[in-house]
Amino acid sequence: MKLAILGAGPGGYVAAIKAAQLGAQVTVIEENEVGGVCLNWGCIPTKVLVASADFLARTRKSEEFGIEIKGDITPNFAKIIERKNKIVNTQIKGIRNLLKKWEITLQQGRGVLTSPHEITVTSRDGSIEKTESDKIIIATGSSPFQLPNLPFDGKRILSSDDAIALKEIPKSIIIVGAGVIGCEFACIFRNLGAEVTLIEMLPRAVATEDFEISDILERELRKKKIRLLVNVKAEKADIRDEGVHIFLNDGKEIAADKVLVSVGRIFNSNGIGIEETGIQKGVRGEISVNEKMETNIPGIYAIGDVAGGLMLAHVASSEGITAATNLMGGNERIDYDSVPSAIYTSPEIASVGLREQRAAEKGIKVRTGHFQFRMLAKAHAIGEIEGLLKIVSDEQSDRVLGVHIIGPHASDLIHEGALAVRLGLKTKDIAGTIHAHPTLAEGLMEAAEDVHNEAIHVPRK
Amino acid sequence: MNPDDLRYHKEHTWVRAAGKKATIGITDYAQEALGDIVYIDLPEVDTDIEPNSEIGEIESTKATSSIISPISGKVIEVNEDLSESPEIINEDPYGKGWIAVIEIDDASEIDDLMDSSEYAKYVEEEAK
Repeated sequence: MKLAILGAGPGGYVAAIKAAQLGAQVTVIEENEVGGVCLNWGCIPTKVLVASADFLARTRKSEEFGIEIKGDITPNFAKIIERKNKIVNTQIKGIRNLLKKWEITLQQGRGVLTSPHEITVTSRDGSIEKTESDKIIIATGSSPFQLPNLPFDGKRILSSDDAIALKEIPKSIIIVGAGVIGCEFACIFRNLGAEVTLIEMLPRAVATEDFEISDILERELRKKKIRLLVNVKAEKADIRDEGVHIFLNDGKEIAADKVLVSVGRIFNSNGIGIEETGIQKGVRGEISVNEKMETNIPGIYAIGDVAGGLMLAHVASSEGITAATNLMGGNERIDYDSVPSAIYTSPEIASVGLREQRAAEKGIKVRTGHFQFRMLAKAHAIGEIEGLLKIVSDEQSDRVLGVHIIGPHASDLIHEGALAVRLGLKTKDIAGTIHAHPTLAEGLMEAAEDVHNEAIHVPRK
Repeated sequence: MNPDDLRYHKEHTWVRAAGKKATIGITDYAQEALGDIVYIDLPEVDTDIEPNSEIGEIESTKATSSIISPISGKVIEVNEDLSESPEIINEDPYGKGWIAVIEIDDASEIDDLMDSSEYAKYVEEEAK
């Protein structure tokens, strides 16, 4: 079996390795660098920035921990970016090595489907090569969405790609869109000392999360003195020497050194031979796939962001494994109901499954359990007491339907919840599992107990 | 220990009326129960407050708790000092730890609240 994969992001390269493990002869075609948006412009670079920003924020409260630092503590953005580049490069090498070990051919260039069994690749030097294969996986990802009234110029009006390549920390920044990316950058820039204004057309920040979680995030943003304006749109930008002025639809005018536009992402489904090959697209421009990740053309699969599902690196990887397994004769499908997601704000947010506000519209009767991080001794010891763990469970069956966490290490704590949702465990199963003390994970046990008002460390109601 | 010139709401807030204005805060019992206060989410000036509604939130090292306004009206001033030093509430809940000044909507709401001895009894009952 010869397989060609268009795109070496977290979808494409994982699919390549999986298919190679199953015996396929694999070629991966990548225009930029392996690792895709996730490794080069997204998840990983921003997490390196988050680490530096958090380090600075913690260092500034070192006296609370009995540590006296003499002299100034200042961020050096050039060095932060240098560290980011080093980490990204190490990961790139790692992926390249993995591909090599599995004898996967990495073809560098821009690939276009020229038939259901052929991809034409134009490399940077202009040379053209054709790659023939039995089957194809399209994993071309997505790009930052550009607002027509706020076009990116890379200098004053930035995309998230531009933001991770800045030379210095802006004195002030307006971030358009208080979703996942916007809120992460708001915390990064604020912790590094910038004045941050977030504007959002919806009534709340991270509006897709459980409302109790986004309420707490909004409070944490206020604590950091990040200005959040909701129910408002940016109508136009006026770029002046001293700063960018943004005119809002409520008549207000705000200004800052830079503007970051993070209002979503668009599918990279144009100019790669989709229409010409007869592959169907959905209304949003995504490539349509069935449960097996196969398009309407047998033998052609699409995975990751371009396939229109949840735009998460780990979902792309999982879809890659599913597609690779299926095209090698398997019959796998993905359970999207138990996909965890994480937002690297400070504090972090992580969630899986049903949001409480969605239960009513879905006609599901639920119970909830809550536990505040500040009730945990461990949270006090590490000096991070903000946040909440919340469980949403089915009133009748007691099954865990959703877990929502905002607080320290939320992104690592969520997986117990993901396992519970995926396996249909009951809150009693979590409550009945002994959790080590002192840990942050105890909070989930207490939240599970709280569903039935049995939490030990919650004041009597 | 609870000043006699104040009126008290069952959600452990107090009000001190002076003409058309009233200053509000949380009671000594509330600050004691919360423990070390680390943050307060203050209402915004010009906010209209409904009777018995939440006007902000208080975080201590042990709990987060809503602040329920004892009366309705319009917020005309907030105690900005609390943003930087919320612990003032622990130190002086009836004085420097005031939270907001409200333009009184309906003076009869204040009469309906508890006086200091009624509040003292109420707290005693609640503590049981």
